[in-house]
Amino acid sequence: MTRDVYTPEDDRGRDYERDVADPGSYPFTRGRLRPRHAPAGGWIQRELSGEGSPRRSNRQLHELLAHGALGIDVIGDNPSMAALDPDQPMCEPAVGTTGVSLCRTQDFVELLDGIPLDRVTLSHSLPAAFAVAGQYLAGRRHGFDPAVLRGSAIQSPLYAEDCSYATFLPFDVRMRLALDSICFCLSRMPRFHAYLEDTYFISDGGLDAVEEMTLGFLELREITRRLLARGLAVDDFAPRIAVLVNCRMDVLAEVAKIRATRRLFARMMREEFGAADPRSWSVNVAVHTSGLTLTAAQPAVNIVRGAVQGLAMAMAGVQGLEISTFDEPFRTPSPVAHQLAIRTQQVIELETGVTRVQDPLGGSYYVERLTDDLEHRIRAEIDRIEALGDVGDLVEQGYFRSVFQAAMDRHSRDVQSGELSVVGVNRHVVPPADDTFLRDVAEERFAPDLEHVARIRRWRPTRDAARVRAALDDVGETVRRPDADLMAPIVAALDAEATIGEITGSLREGRGLPADPLAFAAARSTATARA
Amino acid sequence: MRGDEGRHGHAGRVVIGTLGLDQHEVGAVAVSRILMRAGYEVIYLGRFNTPERLVHVAEQEDARLVGVSVHSWEWTAYADELVRRCHEVGIGLVVGGSVLTEADRADLLARGVDAVFGPYAAERDILDGLAAVVERIENAGAATTTGRSGDGGAEAPLAGRVVAVTGAARGLGRAYTLALVRQGAAVVANDLDADALAELAAATDVVGAGRIGAVPGDITAPGTAERLLDAALSGFGELHGLVSNAGALRSGPLLRLDDADLRLVLDVHVAATFRLLRVAGRYWRAAAKAGRGVDASVVLTTSAAGLYGFRAEAAYSAAKAATATLTRVAADEFARFGARVNAVAPIARTRLTPWLGPPPEEDADDALAAERVAPVVGWLLSDAAAGVSGRVLEAGGGRVSVPRSWEPGQSVVLAPGGTPADVDRAVRRALAAVPQPPDILTADADQVARL
Repeated sequence: MTRDVYTPEDDRGRDYERDVADPGSYPFTRGRLRPRHAPAGGWIQRELSGEGSPRRSNRQLHELLAHGALGIDVIGDNPSMAALDPDQPMCEPAVGTTGVSLCRTQDFVELLDGIPLDRVTLSHSLPAAFAVAGQYLAGRRHGFDPAVLRGSAIQSPLYAEDCSYATFLPFDVRMRLALDSICFCLSRMPRFHAYLEDTYFISDGGLDAVEEMTLGFLELREITRRLLARGLAVDDFAPRIAVLVNCRMDVLAEVAKIRATRRLFARMMREEFGAADPRSWSVNVAVHTSGLTLTAAQPAVNIVRGAVQGLAMAMAGVQGLEISTFDEPFRTPSPVAHQLAIRTQQVIELETGVTRVQDPLGGSYYVERLTDDLEHRIRAEIDRIEALGDVGDLVEQGYFRSVFQAAMDRHSRDVQSGELSVVGVNRHVVPPADDTFLRDVAEERFAPDLEHVARIRRWRPTRDAARVRAALDDVGETVRRPDADLMAPIVAALDAEATIGEITGSLREGRGLPADPLAFAAARSTATARA
Repeated sequence: MRGDEGRHGHAGRVVIGTLGLDQHEVGAVAVSRILMRAGYEVIYLGRFNTPERLVHVAEQEDARLVGVSVHSWEWTAYADELVRRCHEVGIGLVVGGSVLTEADRADLLARGVDAVFGPYAAERDILDGLAAVVERIENAGAATTTGRSGDGGAEAPLAGRVVAVTGAARGLGRAYTLALVRQGAAVVANDLDADALAELAAATDVVGAGRIGAVPGDITAPGTAERLLDAALSGFGELHGLVSNAGALRSGPLLRLDDADLRLVLDVHVAATFRLLRVAGRYWRAAAKAGRGVDASVVLTTSAAGLYGFRAEAAYSAAKAATATLTRVAADEFARFGARVNAVAPIARTRLTPWLGPPPEEDADDALAAERVAPVVGWLLSDAAAGVSGRVLEAGGGRVSVPRSWEPGQSVVLAPGGTPADVDRAVRRALAAVPQPPDILTADADQVARL
């Protein structure tokens, strides 16, 4: 519960050097470690992208870069997020409508055609092992040394299955894929953040800030423990960790959350995991502004929400920012929405002056107190849940699923009851007949890319079948050996023109599961082809 | 997930899930919890469902309805199959989700979905909508097992038809509603006066148990027409007829009528009718396109005032004249999807006709009773009136007639370059070539006596 006013009383017990410190100094509350003489301000400005075929998405990426985007964030369509191929019958109606369709090396090559991969960072919202392998192979095909590739891949072995991105793989295989792809990047793509903890997508069903960061830290800690158990030194991988957090409308709380996160991370790495390299203590924080806070009612108002959130995140000193576009309640971003969101970031950076100094909100009685409170509450929750038992067991018992479901219900009730004010939804509502501004753009719809499905179908028989088979057999054989590295056979299989759906099929088969998790829907093939 | 018996009286068993690879469960989970708190038993199927699976489980578990939450556009590929399968086994179908637009809503309803909820639908509306669907499904189940009770075919020419009536609580609207229900129709009744409407619903329930739905609300408010359609579809599964009857009167000489009064009269009689036609027409057109068109019939309300003019009722007369011509144009447009549009010009003792005086005492058969108009409205809504569209019927006082409409008169040549005198001659010849129009109506005693 917040109070009306905060005073110097709220500063009691806090030691500036110990708990806050200057920007760039441990525990990094006020900002992350930065190169000496680096100017204040500036962050990687990017927007969620990907729609239709890889070629179509490639055009989208070039348009964004032309608008001045400094990074790329690519999301796969529903089939790609589930690691299924577009020509699986149940996938057809979803191909390319909520992201790009990616199932083979050639798709990554086409997606990244002409993109300066040595200068532009590529943030993937895709199953991580395949994102890494795809960027690695496509980069090589386009003539880039893997050592120069930059970007990040979301590792979410604990939560993806329960948070809209199920891949139908057992927990231990998901965890192996996470660890193996991190290790792969450490040796081959050292500038790449292979270890991105994404608390955005797990929290955007309605988790609050404390739940969001608690779950994020639980996963960070679990992966870290397992990497240490493999014999890696913490300073080998901790500098490559990044977090991607959510930003809702209570923006000062979100600023405080980010400050608390930097501090918690620094203390955890140094005090618990014994990291000695300052780069291991100082986490890179990127933000995706909340889609859940945007409304289908009066979509133009979402532009305002994005600007307010973006401004707050600039003041929080983040390293990367994606503003959910105004049409997000309806679709992945339209071209108009893309440009508006990039321009919003540019206005914040270039016109407002908030980036002139680091941590402009530092020293605010309220923000500092909120930072302390959030740190303590998150820390207490981490301890409480870790005391419940092995985190992997909690995943399998559905513990986190129940947390997500309770949050969805709570959010819905808060909006229904008016406890959470949402303009246009439970406050200042206008009838649909008067709600027309920008609605035509928001409601514009395009069909699934059945042409791409046909392309994949035509392409399959042109492959060297024996080579594909051998590569897939190797994947299936490797997954049976618990200690074997999965990345090498996966990269080899993709390189041999096996598809992501086939590779995950082999991973499942290797574990005694059916290769096609949606085979029951195969009979739909002809029906949906018509639709 | 099983919910406790809650405050809602219509709890039943429902199956909820998402379709295809649409993995976002936020809506499905939130709605499941709402339903469980309201006493429903929720069978939650989560993600990766096909229509076949959803309906199969619903059937096996004896659920009353399937609820689908959509968060991506995949639903468009599944909608028809889902509707067909639900209809085949008599299970209700409700769709909701953030990506549904107003156009989707209209389209899904036309395809045969029982209720559709867009983003942030109010909990109350969701519960009311679902309760209506569950009740309808249960009644349909009871009817097929016990045989249809009630009136036989001859007395029930409107059996199985669903009609929306506006201004239903009093006067003509009340008489129509009672008559339509007696003839076997289900009526979705709207009125501004919620109390009077509740009283009507109670009275109607006696003649036609369960065949009345009340939708209180201002017909000039945005969204009321849509609510009437929703109530018809969720409560009775279809909409066959519409009686636009709501009226309001602001009397006085033209020179004294202010803008607010003029606007009110035009809003109630013209704009609201226009909106009702649009909402019902869009639904029927989409239903016809989806191959499930119905023989739809609309009855608008004009008036002798609109046909002949009424002294000191300029606004009302103008509004009713507009409605008469709207009938012609709407009939032409609606014919393309098989719907008929007619109008009645009723004469009856109501709050709008105080000049007709009180009903004769001790007279059981008041010729000017609203009940004497209702049979004509019932006839227009029934199959008996097939082929009749774009017509205006005067009804009441124990009679029915078809007023002659505007028609071209004898034309007289106006030569180019004619002098004012030439024009005068020509117009006078044209005026003389046709009879005088009937006198405009007045509220004087002679006229009342004539009626």
